[in-house]
Amino acid sequence: MSAKRALIMHPHDNVATAVEEIRAGEEVAVPVVGTALTLRATEAIPFGFKLALQDLSQGEIIRKYGETIGKASLAISKGALVHVHNLEGTRARGDLAKGGKP
Amino acid sequence: MSFLGYIRSDGSVGTRNYVLIIPQGIIAKSICDFVAGTKSILTVDHGSGRTANDREQIARLLIGLGRNSNVASVIVHAASPGVGYPELRAERLADEIAAGGKRVEVLDPAKDGGTYGAIVRGIQVARMMVHDASKLRREKVGDEYLCLGVKCGYSDTTSGIAGNPAVGYLYDKIVAAGGTALFGETTEIIGAEQALARRAVSPDVAEAILRAVTIQEERAKATGLDIRTVNPVPSNIKGGISSLEEKSLGAIHKAGTTPIQGVLKYAERPTRKGLYFVDNWMGHLSIFAGYAAAGANVVLFQLGGGGVAGRTLLEGSPSVVAPFLWATANPKTYAAATDSIDFFSGTVIEGSETPEEAGERLYRTVVDIASGTLSRSETLHYAEPIDMYLQEPRF
Repeated sequence: MSAKRALIMHPHDNVATAVEEIRAGEEVAVPVVGTALTLRATEAIPFGFKLALQDLSQGEIIRKYGETIGKASLAISKGALVHVHNLEGTRARGDLAKGGKP
Repeated sequence: MSFLGYIRSDGSVGTRNYVLIIPQGIIAKSICDFVAGTKSILTVDHGSGRTANDREQIARLLIGLGRNSNVASVIVHAASPGVGYPELRAERLADEIAAGGKRVEVLDPAKDGGTYGAIVRGIQVARMMVHDASKLRREKVGDEYLCLGVKCGYSDTTSGIAGNPAVGYLYDKIVAAGGTALFGETTEIIGAEQALARRAVSPDVAEAILRAVTIQEERAKATGLDIRTVNPVPSNIKGGISSLEEKSLGAIHKAGTTPIQGVLKYAERPTRKGLYFVDNWMGHLSIFAGYAAAGANVVLFQLGGGGVAGRTLLEGSPSVVAPFLWATANPKTYAAATDSIDFFSGTVIEGSETPEEAGERLYRTVVDIASGTLSRSETLHYAEPIDMYLQEPRF
């Protein structure tokens, strides 16, 4: 069975976006200019959701479009789903602002 | 690189040819019910108890809609609760619209025999206006007469990957042809503001972009809330977007790559051609009327997916006089609402088209609709009310 497809938006990204439904254990091909990166999804990655292209430690910056989309709130392993459970946005966070409740 | 439009006396070109009756109310509604080819607005706010700034914003919206190139002539009635304020007096609105060179008539129940008399006279005037407007023929003009407004909504990751890049291609093409293109949604550029500021034509414009974001971000922080419980909205998260920054960085793709000429307020008209950022709010009941008031003669809603499922009818958002298009890159959304959607760019996700090829198709779709083909939502009478973007407290 051929690899499932995920896209990166910029060479500096450390996550890719699934453009097919990916099941746990399936191989994923990420087209990169001149080559194709392949990795194995460690869990299901629904259409439109992101998977980690490398191991990410807690607090590490997560990049898509070549820009910061947040930081890892937990350690994330390569091939894992990256979403609100392990990615934390850092902007406009009233809960973290001075006087705000955590 | 051309479309068929209605050339107005002020040199602008319309994609439609309406008679507009403002503000809302029973007089406007009655005239519209009676006379074909007329448009009015629907909103719950007449300006009562509003601050001077917000009243001026309402006036700007009404005047701007009247001056839109899709409007042949205008009737302003003086029966709105807001007309007691100097900003919203019927004569003031009429004078500023007429300054753009089109015919404007004022209906005043105090002089025209009360509400009933104003309705009867309004019907007579509107019939003449519509008949006169119908004598105008479309002529071939360049794309520099297009003014577009866009919003992306129910965004998911297809929006950032394919839908918005296709719109971005369209925006670049229209700007390169000398046209005007508007984008906005200040909350949805938080996290992407530096990338936009780098595209500003001047340090002043860059600072205005950053200032708009700072004000909005400080407002968000002042709530004490975790923004993730507010925005990205649940449908964004369900569609794979994980943070406001990710949403913003996908959203700005719809603005293409050209220099940003300035920052406009809601319903403010640009003074030059090119790409402008509008400091507005994302709400679909608010944003399109604002773009139309700023002069947009075609508007687009680039739809993600989120909760769209089953056989869905997507009604248009209130853009009053500007034809409204639905576009999506999400194959599930398109399958669920094919007969409502004007343009599909999921081909980019499937790998059968590049964003540029999809953008070229979108351009041709927009030109067709600008030239008179109805957008899908224009085949419906239904219009939702406008939620005007007003920011100050009411008293």
